[in-house]
Amino acid sequence: MSSKLPLRFIDVKVDATAQFSYSFDVPPHRCVAVAGDGKSGVDKLGEIALGLTRPVDGTALIYDEDLSMMNDSAALAFRRRVGYLPANDGLMQNLPLGSNIALPLRFGSAYTESEINGRVGVIMAALRVGDYAGKRPPQVSEEIRRRAAVARALAFDPKLVILEQPFDGITTRCALELLQIVRGGEVSDGSRRSVLILGQYLPDQVTTLVDLKYRATKGEFKVEP
Amino acid sequence: MIALISRIGNAVTRWVSLVGALALFFFRIVTCWRTLPGAGRRVVRRVLKDQIWFTALQAVPLIVVLSAILSFLVISQTIQELGRIGATELIGVIIVVAIVRELGPLLTALIVAGRSGTAMAAELATNRVMGELKALEGMGIDPLHYIVLPRFGGAIVSVFVLIVVFDLVAVTSGLVAAVSSGMSVERYFEIVMRSLTFRDSWLTVAKGITFGAVIGVVPLYQGLAAGGASTDVPVASSRAVVGSIVAIFLLSVLFVAVSL
Repeated sequence: MSSKLPLRFIDVKVDATAQFSYSFDVPPHRCVAVAGDGKSGVDKLGEIALGLTRPVDGTALIYDEDLSMMNDSAALAFRRRVGYLPANDGLMQNLPLGSNIALPLRFGSAYTESEINGRVGVIMAALRVGDYAGKRPPQVSEEIRRRAAVARALAFDPKLVILEQPFDGITTRCALELLQIVRGGEVSDGSRRSVLILGQYLPDQVTTLVDLKYRATKGEFKVEP
Repeated sequence: MIALISRIGNAVTRWVSLVGALALFFFRIVTCWRTLPGAGRRVVRRVLKDQIWFTALQAVPLIVVLSAILSFLVISQTIQELGRIGATELIGVIIVVAIVRELGPLLTALIVAGRSGTAMAAELATNRVMGELKALEGMGIDPLHYIVLPRFGGAIVSVFVLIVVFDLVAVTSGLVAAVSSGMSVERYFEIVMRSLTFRDSWLTVAKGITFGAVIGVVPLYQGLAAGGASTDVPVASSRAVVGSIVAIFLLSVLFVAVSL
């Protein structure tokens, strides 16, 4: 699986009114950011990659697989191999943060409860949200919610992570820390994980951790230096 | 004239489409357990227990009070009226047919629809608005498995259990009313047991399961069908409770027609 391209967008037209189509790759061990305004449709690319939304035209492939062509069960199983941080975090409001992070493991892994608790404890410590394990999302700050949502996205230790608007509402320092954790450390080829960041805004300091940056604006989609 | 026919036609088409969509949704729920991951069963069981706690156990006091008051009023007044014409034997039929078979399931279902149906619809609509359903799918968790299936199962179990509680309280309350009107305990139970047939028990069980399924399907469907705005939450709740009540009354009529 690791020899295949983690993520590839081929002539993806997000909606009928789109002025251009997206064609770009997320190579192995690379962190790619795509920034674009509200009309660009950048916010839909994560859903399209995961087969949650069908593009008007084109294809998105994760490790050479088009999830939109899979049956529901196969697509669900495949998505567990990808870390996903949706816009607005998507944490379950009725679950404490600890249970939110454990949920994908409890639902989609063969780990025992003690193994899950151990794994969740390690992830929460890494994201520095251990003290908030028993709090529900509305009881904590936006930064803690974002940290918990990132922890949940990394629960399966995926090789590919898709982040939607990950830096909105948090400080640059926190954004840098989160992106470093998401990258998963450094290997000889780059970061341990392949990362796709989607959003309207990317803090300047964070770009130091991004290998490739694209911008979609004014009817154009181009690489930024 | 054509405009009127067109409006009626549109309304009928919308209604038929909704019934079809609800039937399809019901089919998807009852078949989705086949694709439930092994590890997910443990989580679903936990959510199911929580749902039964909220829907059934927390509603027990309300059901007990309503059933006791209703049964006491109906039985005490009926005994007096029947006593005047020397037909107190018929009290058993009144208890079994009117309360155990008809009012018990109907009132219980209406209470659960109003209390828990609206809550389920509002919860799911909020999940939709907050992007939680999309996040679940993105994590490889089917919302049908994690959210819908345990709530559907919980609604069926809860309505059935609450109907049994309602009927037991009704018979006990009827006993109090009968004894206070001069009837002996032995005589009361003899009349009630003589009036109770296997068909009554079967119909009560069937109604419990059917009404529970309605209270599972309609609010969950309306919650999932909600739009992305926060103003869609109360709309979904309102549609859920109205749809459930209409369906429960229509099914009650159908049960009477079938059982005659």
